[in-house]
Amino acid sequence: MTAAPVLDFAARLETARRARARLATRPVAATVRALAAAAVRWREDAALARALPAASSLSPEMIAAVLPLAAEALDADAMAALVEAEWGSGALERGVPPGAGLVAHVLASNVPALALPAIALACLAGAPVLVKSGRHDRLSADAFVRALAAVDPDLAATVVTTYWTGGDLEAETALEQADVVVATGSEPAVAALAGRLGRTVLAHGPRVSVAAIGREPALDVETLARRLALDVVLHDQRGCLSPHGVWIERGGGLDPRDFATHLATALGELARGLPAGPAPIEERAAARSAREEAEWDSEATVIGGDAGTVIYDDRPRFRAGAGRRTIRVQPLDDLAGLPDLLPVGAVECVGIAGADCARLAPALAARGVSRLCPLGRMQRPSLAWPRGRQPPLGALLGRRGPAPIQVEP
Amino acid sequence: MGLLRSPRVHGSRLEAELAATIAAVATGAPPPDFASWALRLFAHQFEHNAPYRAFCERRDATPVTVRRWEDVPAVPTAAFRHVELACGPAEATFVTSGTTDPAARGRHLVPSLALYRASALASFARFVLPDGVRLRALFLVPPPRLRPDSSLVRMCVFVADALADGAEWFIGEEGLQVEPLLARLDAAERNGEAVLLVGVTAAFATLFAACRARERAFRLGPGSRVVDTGGQKGLARPLSRAAFVRECWSLLGIAGYHCVNEYGMTELCSQRYDAVLDDRFHGRGLLPRRLVGPPWLRTRVLDPDTLAPVSAGATGLLCHHDLANAGSVSVVLTEDLGRTIGEDGIEVLGRAPGAVPRGCGLLLADLAAS
Repeated sequence: MTAAPVLDFAARLETARRARARLATRPVAATVRALAAAAVRWREDAALARALPAASSLSPEMIAAVLPLAAEALDADAMAALVEAEWGSGALERGVPPGAGLVAHVLASNVPALALPAIALACLAGAPVLVKSGRHDRLSADAFVRALAAVDPDLAATVVTTYWTGGDLEAETALEQADVVVATGSEPAVAALAGRLGRTVLAHGPRVSVAAIGREPALDVETLARRLALDVVLHDQRGCLSPHGVWIERGGGLDPRDFATHLATALGELARGLPAGPAPIEERAAARSAREEAEWDSEATVIGGDAGTVIYDDRPRFRAGAGRRTIRVQPLDDLAGLPDLLPVGAVECVGIAGADCARLAPALAARGVSRLCPLGRMQRPSLAWPRGRQPPLGALLGRRGPAPIQVEP
Repeated sequence: MGLLRSPRVHGSRLEAELAATIAAVATGAPPPDFASWALRLFAHQFEHNAPYRAFCERRDATPVTVRRWEDVPAVPTAAFRHVELACGPAEATFVTSGTTDPAARGRHLVPSLALYRASALASFARFVLPDGVRLRALFLVPPPRLRPDSSLVRMCVFVADALADGAEWFIGEEGLQVEPLLARLDAAERNGEAVLLVGVTAAFATLFAACRARERAFRLGPGSRVVDTGGQKGLARPLSRAAFVRECWSLLGIAGYHCVNEYGMTELCSQRYDAVLDDRFHGRGLLPRRLVGPPWLRTRVLDPDTLAPVSAGATGLLCHHDLANAGSVSVVLTEDLGRTIGEDGIEVLGRAPGAVPRGCGLLLADLAAS
């Protein structure tokens, strides 16, 4: 980047700041309506749907399935509920609380469309926002700003989108102007960024998700297997909400080994409609290594083949995820023991069926889990998801967590 | 060394024959014919190694059906964490470094140390001492009493006995003994003595940091050389290969062509080495740096999905076929990613994400944790 574009960039940020200032007294409800309408337009962007598969290394069928999920997170009612939950009753009819400065989001691109919640949260918080896209999705942010400009050009003017190659020190100077920097990515990348900026960065490092099935009666094994398989398959298991292990409580109607077989079948069936995209060599190597090891492990059994790998493991223990639609099924005597199996800060979400979420929530929250939800909904977070246990809006105003764990009905 | 000389004969006659064949290579004899030895050893391992036989039978691979060395089934390194893969009683058991969980450590049972010794010494002599010089060895690895189960430490003992002019060890229970090492380097510099420094990369990094902190640089005697192994593992901060070589020159006075990187693993009895010194000695100085092994070790680069060979130069999983593993399993599929370079070399690019931390680069971390 040469000096001229840097100056141009500073001008764009200043324009965004001024645009935001002009909206200071506008009721938040108007912002909610604009964001929801923009999400609907964005979801219908045919050019985006055509270009994203190649950029994101997801199949066209997968992109067609996940774009609506990204858009539905910007549901008007859900956004309104979030605003009132954080800022109290009547907040929708008032202007944004004072104090929001420039928010900069440095996005990963392990899954597409991460720009949508980044932009929406900043807009709801009343902050001008700089969005630096990830390498594998440089499209969604611009597409969303186009959609927003069509319904609310004043709000769209508060958003600046950009891309630079990670580690481009000159380009990164743009982040120095931000009041809050939110970074998503690998731990070394985020730590290096924080080091270079010489300031605290609100970091979302690599995390995984898991699932648990209790011993409540009347659980249908095929339905549960299909729901969990969908959670595994969406985004090709690359997101922090993708489950990599499931614990089945003993003594209920579900036999853990039988469930593993059904899960493998469900993964195979889903793969026909949602084929996997091309995977990088590292991801393929990790999945191969997990399968190879399980074959030699006397307490593990490999079930399933090309469409995904289910590893039945007799030992209830946490293992790092291998990816490429690989999931470990393990029995557990009592789900109350699940939190003790999870390393602190490693798990983002727990998908649950057949068990009382409220009973498990406090102990899971103590392990850093931010979200509990039903199986089949793990990849459908609302904007209220307190990612990394941070309050979605408050964190952008410098109010750090931990936020309460989110328990979805 | 008592560790080396045992009155008992260990291993099979096959292993003894192979050890003799490999040892004879140093005197100009031809290397073992790879393809025929590979099939002989597969038959041997199929017969005497029950877990391996069961694994092969699940793949319909038997000495009758396998006709090419490339078709001998590969065992993943992870298998060494779960079962004992040996064709007979072990003369030594080597254990991987890098985790405090004993169940997560790989164990390589070696029925014949003589074969390991023959293979290790032949390669060390070729790639590190092609000029036949005998140097005093300064080891930046733990001595055998601290890590009797380390294959790297055992190899250093072999080298000390057979190829060096004596040995000194500079890692104790507390890690690298910085002051004694600096004093020893100081003495070597004053005497113009050439030394052979062998150690894990992390220990060299500690040495470099100590030199920098003291603003002390050595000019070791001409012909001094460095052998490092372990790569980035166990390093507090990244140290690129180029930076490592630069530090060897700036702080030790050892030129880049005398800096030889070794690639070995507990599960293999043969090693690969940076061919830089061998190439220079034989007038091939323009060839790129690459890891080259002896003729009885072949490495294929495989696609993780299909386990078929990738095209030349493409990245894949490294699969080693080591004849010197005659007493366990010869074909080992690693979690290392790499690519071929030229006709005889490879480059290691990293490890599969999520792979269990392991490797001699973590020997120091092990000591710190124990």
